[in-house]
Amino acid sequence: MEDLLHQITWPMLAIFAAIVVAPLLGGLLTGLDRKLTARMQGRFGPPILQPFFDFFKLIGKERITVNSTQTLYVLGALFFAVTSLVMLALGHDLLMLVFVLAFSNISLIMGAMSVRSPFSKIGAQREIIQMMAYEPVILLMVVGIYLVTKSFMIQDIFTYGSPLLYKLPLVFAAFLYILTIKLRKSPFDFSTSHHGHQELIKGLTIEFSGVQLALIELTHWYETVLLLCLVALFFAQPIWVGIIIALVAFVLEIIIDNICARTTWKFMLQLTWGFGIGAAITNIVWLYLAMGR
Amino acid sequence: MEAIASTYALPLLAALVLLPALAAVLSLAIPQKAFRNALIILTTVVMISASSFLAYAIVQAAGKFPIEISEHATETITWIIRGIDAIVLLYVIWLGIKEKRAVAPILAVIQIASLVCFEIFFHITEPATPITLDYLSLVLILLASIIGPLILVFSIGYMDSHEEHLHLTESRQPRFFAILFLFLGVMNALAMSDNILWMYTFWEVTTLCSFLLIGHDGTELSIKNAFRTLDLNMLGGVAFIWGIIAIYHAQSTILISDIVKLHIGPGLGWTFATGIALLCLAGFTKAAQFPFQSWLLGAMVAPTPVSALLHSSTMVKAGVFLIVRLSPVFAGTLLGNVVAFAGGFTFLAASAIAISQSNGKRVLAYSTIANLGLIICCAGIGTQAALGAAILLIIFHAVSKGLLFLCIGTIEDKIGSRDIEDMQGLMKIMPYTTFITVIGMMSMLLPPFGVLMTKWLAIEASVYLPPVLLLIILGSAFTVVFWAKWIGIILTMSYKPSYPVEKLKPSMGFTLGALLAIVLAASFGFAPIYNTLVVPHINSLRGISQSLILHANANGIYLNTDGYVSGGVLSYALFVILFLLMLGVPFFLYRTRPETIKPPYFGGELANDDIRGIDFIGPGDKVEQIIVHNYYMASIFGEGALTLWTSLIAGAIILVMFGVVL
Repeated sequence: MEDLLHQITWPMLAIFAAIVVAPLLGGLLTGLDRKLTARMQGRFGPPILQPFFDFFKLIGKERITVNSTQTLYVLGALFFAVTSLVMLALGHDLLMLVFVLAFSNISLIMGAMSVRSPFSKIGAQREIIQMMAYEPVILLMVVGIYLVTKSFMIQDIFTYGSPLLYKLPLVFAAFLYILTIKLRKSPFDFSTSHHGHQELIKGLTIEFSGVQLALIELTHWYETVLLLCLVALFFAQPIWVGIIIALVAFVLEIIIDNICARTTWKFMLQLTWGFGIGAAITNIVWLYLAMGR
Repeated sequence: MEAIASTYALPLLAALVLLPALAAVLSLAIPQKAFRNALIILTTVVMISASSFLAYAIVQAAGKFPIEISEHATETITWIIRGIDAIVLLYVIWLGIKEKRAVAPILAVIQIASLVCFEIFFHITEPATPITLDYLSLVLILLASIIGPLILVFSIGYMDSHEEHLHLTESRQPRFFAILFLFLGVMNALAMSDNILWMYTFWEVTTLCSFLLIGHDGTELSIKNAFRTLDLNMLGGVAFIWGIIAIYHAQSTILISDIVKLHIGPGLGWTFATGIALLCLAGFTKAAQFPFQSWLLGAMVAPTPVSALLHSSTMVKAGVFLIVRLSPVFAGTLLGNVVAFAGGFTFLAASAIAISQSNGKRVLAYSTIANLGLIICCAGIGTQAALGAAILLIIFHAVSKGLLFLCIGTIEDKIGSRDIEDMQGLMKIMPYTTFITVIGMMSMLLPPFGVLMTKWLAIEASVYLPPVLLLIILGSAFTVVFWAKWIGIILTMSYKPSYPVEKLKPSMGFTLGALLAIVLAASFGFAPIYNTLVVPHINSLRGISQSLILHANANGIYLNTDGYVSGGVLSYALFVILFLLMLGVPFFLYRTRPETIKPPYFGGELANDDIRGIDFIGPGDKVEQIIVHNYYMASIFGEGALTLWTSLIAGAIILVMFGVVL
């Protein structure tokens, strides 16, 4: 009986949490983001539940599209993001998770490039450059975690005795930095931004509307939760500390978003490759040398 | 089971080696088109059936398939092979004199001199089993005998339009197909040879075949590039023969199966290690690794089927085949680490330069060089999981790249350009080819397709070699960039109420469909392919580190470190559900709620009602056309910025490779 509980019930609960609870959490976090941002700008801000109202309103809108394939890409982005979250909940291979998550992003890029809009296309090009910048850092994070736990499985992080942070401080710092790019927060919000008044208007997402836009929002919620879970992984022992740190990281992102002006992609590329990769490599080099002793 | 080997060995050899050679002669002798087409189709059927049967026989015989040839026959064949070698080298010298090129003939003279000295000063005892078939040779034979003939079938239709474009008065197809046939037979012979001198001869014949095919159109550029191929690969040939001599000097053997039982170490001395390093150098030239990449890039002046063949199942695969074959000899040694670094560096450099290329064929060429680099990198690491990744990538890359080159050929034939930027809206001109092209590209980067799986495996297998790991990680980030940009362009489209039916020549349409089926089958068959072809080969080797082992079954793929699962794709079911949803939901949405079509937003008025939104009213009421190009970042990733430096570094790595063995 206990065996059954272990083999079926827990995975089922984990999958349920990943598919149903995560977007609720993501939506709430987005609401919190908007509220906090508004307060920082001296506005009252929308209710915390506003993202959900927006979501359902978008779902009910007329279906307008530029070509007949856009929905497919949006769904690709959503399903690959959900799959990566399910893999996380089940404690699967972290490296494969990163590849699956990357494809979620590529699917959105395909969608943006599939229309003949210059705004959308340039947004997609910038998004590709962002991927090129942060992808190595995430992969290095995975390797760093492997060098500590001797496993690529996420479940083994939980059984590892002490928080990863003690051995991976620089990798953690690099990941926090990447988080700003992944969440498309200022100063790195040049492929698309929450407010449609940058030089690319809405950039990447400009040609999506109604249901499609609702699904992109949903994808974003899943992705936010996933990324914060990855932050929490650095403190998996005990997990509640991890959750607190993840929330602190999220608030930090909101503050950064509000105090920074947008940079250019060239600067971002230099900074990420110099600082992000540099920091992660430094950390990995000392782990590797320590292992030889 | 021995019965299968003894009964069918010779007919199988005849079908896989002599039949293509005979077909080459017939193709030259009887130039009638109808006869040649029948010959191609017949050869295709026979080669595919024979190689499949060979696979069955080898698996039944648990990988041991030595072919017994009487002493007398061996001697005769050895003399024939010596004769072939002499003809090839003398032909190269004659070519050099005729075309006034110095490099290739000088290298050929060096090879002849080395060979003659070798035969005179060392009294070589000819081994009794010069031909041995095992799983690794089977992999190469299957690729050459399934993908190769399919490319020939494609060429039936393709070469007609190709010659039409060139306005030839007399068809040169008999020559073209004769060389293609010969190439396939030689690749099979190369894969079977256990006598390294035989392998060397076939190695040189593949060089010559490539030379003839690249120069086939006879333009100034194609002749120039053909000679570059010849120069660089003759250099590889010199390294090959010197490697053989060094190894024979140290160990008195010319049997590959004997060489791979040895492991570089203090006991074996530096002569042997140098010999192995020389063979690796030969492999690098053939696999177009940096700094020898220029010949493969130049090779695309040839008709597209030639590129498809060179990049997928022949030529370059011979180079990586040799290095994977030798992997147990240097696995875990300093030499192995340098080989891994060299391959990883090529993977990074080629992927980076590919970002700056807008010529579709050049992108594919750089991608090939990169993937070959990754294969060599994995062979250099040489653990159980890494070797598995290397052999799997040989398979997956061959099928996907063969398909992609044929797709580009078909597209170029139709739109008259191979520039990526000209491929916008391809879906409305050629939906069938576009669909297949996109799936082919996706198979290079989408999980859980084979190529991506091997990339995943390569990273997990290289965690204990941080410099190599860094190269692979950066390289895979670049890989994503150039594929994403290209796929995005191809899929750009405005709304279409319906698609035209694409008119393709039957031979071309059939081959694209068949190769697509093979690409999908290979990826879905990851576990069976791995378990029947790859695992038994690796298990038969000695000196392979078993600390990291890859397991695959119908549920998923698991990576075991010292007995516990340390990574893997635990459930294919996740991906199956995902793809079903991705196809099902849009269909459902489409059925339930109709869509309104609008042109894209331009921040201004469109000039007309065209739903595509191409003409836009700009400042001063001028009608402007909207054109958006991809970013190519030539100042960072361009050939001008990178080729020289990366080649110099790659050259330095090769020097280091020799430095560590001396």
